[in-house]
Amino acid sequence: MTDSLTLPHPAMAHGGPPSGLPGPGLLPGAGTVPVDLRAHLAMYGPLRTPGGRDGLLREVAGAGLTGRGGAAFPVARKLAAAAEARPAPVVVGNGAEGEPASSKDRSLLWLSPHLVLDGLQLAAGAAGSRSAVLYVPRNERLHGRLAGAIAERAAAGMDAARVELVTAPDRFLAGEESALVSRLADRPALPAYRPVRGLPRLASGRPALVQNVETLAHLALIARYGAAWFRKAGTEAEPGTMLATLHLADGRTSVVEVPLGAGLAGLLGLDRGPGPAEAGAAGPDVPSAFGPVQAVLVGGYHGAWLPAAEAAALPLANAALRPLGALVGAGVLAALPADRCGLAETARVVRYLALESAGQCGPCFNGLPRIAAAVGHLAGPRPDPRARADLERWAGLVAGRGACHHPDGSVRFIRSALRVFAAEAGLHEQGQCSGTDPRPFLPVPATSPATEEDWS
Amino acid sequence: MTGITGSTALWYASRATGVVTLLLLTAVVVLGILVNRQGRLPGLPGFAVTGLHRNVSLLAVAFLAIHVVTAIADPYVTIGIAATVLPFASPYKPLWLGLGAISLDLVAALILTSLARGRMSRRAWRAIHWLGYAAWPLAVVHSIGSSADARNGLVLGVLVGCVLATAAALAWRLSHAAREVPRAGRAAAALSRMSARKAGL
Repeated sequence: MTDSLTLPHPAMAHGGPPSGLPGPGLLPGAGTVPVDLRAHLAMYGPLRTPGGRDGLLREVAGAGLTGRGGAAFPVARKLAAAAEARPAPVVVGNGAEGEPASSKDRSLLWLSPHLVLDGLQLAAGAAGSRSAVLYVPRNERLHGRLAGAIAERAAAGMDAARVELVTAPDRFLAGEESALVSRLADRPALPAYRPVRGLPRLASGRPALVQNVETLAHLALIARYGAAWFRKAGTEAEPGTMLATLHLADGRTSVVEVPLGAGLAGLLGLDRGPGPAEAGAAGPDVPSAFGPVQAVLVGGYHGAWLPAAEAAALPLANAALRPLGALVGAGVLAALPADRCGLAETARVVRYLALESAGQCGPCFNGLPRIAAAVGHLAGPRPDPRARADLERWAGLVAGRGACHHPDGSVRFIRSALRVFAAEAGLHEQGQCSGTDPRPFLPVPATSPATEEDWS
Repeated sequence: MTGITGSTALWYASRATGVVTLLLLTAVVVLGILVNRQGRLPGLPGFAVTGLHRNVSLLAVAFLAIHVVTAIADPYVTIGIAATVLPFASPYKPLWLGLGAISLDLVAALILTSLARGRMSRRAWRAIHWLGYAAWPLAVVHSIGSSADARNGLVLGVLVGCVLATAAALAWRLSHAAREVPRAGRAAAALSRMSARKAGL
């Protein structure tokens, strides 16, 4: 996306270990420098695996850790499959983070590289593997830091598995598991139809165990402090903490570690404000510590918009979000200020999503551009009143029809926008718009892919 | 013959649905050829061709079912239920009906695998779906062989039209294969096409 790293905002309100959590968290405290190996070991203690491989698998299962890349797949099940796979899998730490609105993985890699590398070694140990890959965005400073950290550990002789750095292209889908597997074979990072079950296989026939880098960092903490410690945060069904990227209504961005189940209102500084009955009279906007908010995007660009008043009453947990069509995903939360046009924001993002189609499945590379053009039309003055019905129909033709979940996630985002910004669409049809600030709010990269080389 | 009577109704129904099924199957094959690459029909979004392909397939299957059921139920000839799926088991015109039975089996395989598409490997589904290209010519030969009407007049015209339409679609496909937009540029090309169309409104 950008050459400079997007790092936690210096003024982040919630930095460091989340309140109420024992022991150190995933990120060092606000304002601190990234940790070297000595500081890392001083802070977290030596890496131990009590009870060996079985002990680790037991602790992870007891902790209920799920993948933090967005899909929330149980880590214990994946590790168990990897332990049985023959030949031993290549273990991959996925830090591609193609989502432009998320910067938690690169923040973690920059600030706590040794926690991720610890987790990578633990996963390799559980899988009985001696080769590991760290898949990270194209960024020289980040590469330099990670190469240094890997060399530091090699010099200390603490790692059993050799770690190789592989560069992810700046593509939305670069971190999709099958695209990653394709990239490891030196082919373009394009998604493929996934195998029906089991671990994905590399071109060599060797299976791959792919885990998000934050998941690996949690693994490193669970190995040290145990399942019971991990479960002190979060909910019964969704235990532990997660890193979230917050886009506050004043335009600032921060990365914070929060317990699952934390209230969205507290994270985004939203007032719980008037009850639902009064909310109707006061209009849809909700005051926040960073300015009035009209809607909240939950789960990033494959996630969903929720009206601000509805979001203010919800926790960051799939149990509460899924029934509303939203999901925790990779922890992206954006509070859209009241003075922006939600349709214009949606149109920019949908255009980006359409251009990020890998161009492999017809419904995706024909359908998403068509939908993007229609959303752009809807965001403009006096759109055709039939455009909304057309969009709903086309969305239904695209969902579930791709090799990967790009069409499905995009459709979820678009449908939620049609729902949440229905009143705005009505205004546009009358030639009006409630947006007074034309500056873009959600981050969208300017470039789009043109050649196959853009995917490698 | 003196028009449709109680005893000839089934015979006519079987004939008529056979002709309609052939027309629909031809449409399915033509749409399938267009779907597979970046084909489009005038006035229809590219990806809607996919939906049309599926819906016309469903319609063809409905007509095919009536065609087969009426043929068995018709007392004029003895075919037997087994012969509808077992090739060359029919006492009446075993060769021509046998080709129809094979075609029916292939169509059934296509339907079943497409229903289970989410649960099977993409490669296996694709391989079986290619059998569609065998089902269609079998159905054409079955039509010519089993029906004397198909050798002249209107029905012959329909048959020739079906063959020409499929041949044209194949020719278009082969000539366009060389001019395809590379994967990475497809969405951008589609978006600029859509935007140009909107601007032209």
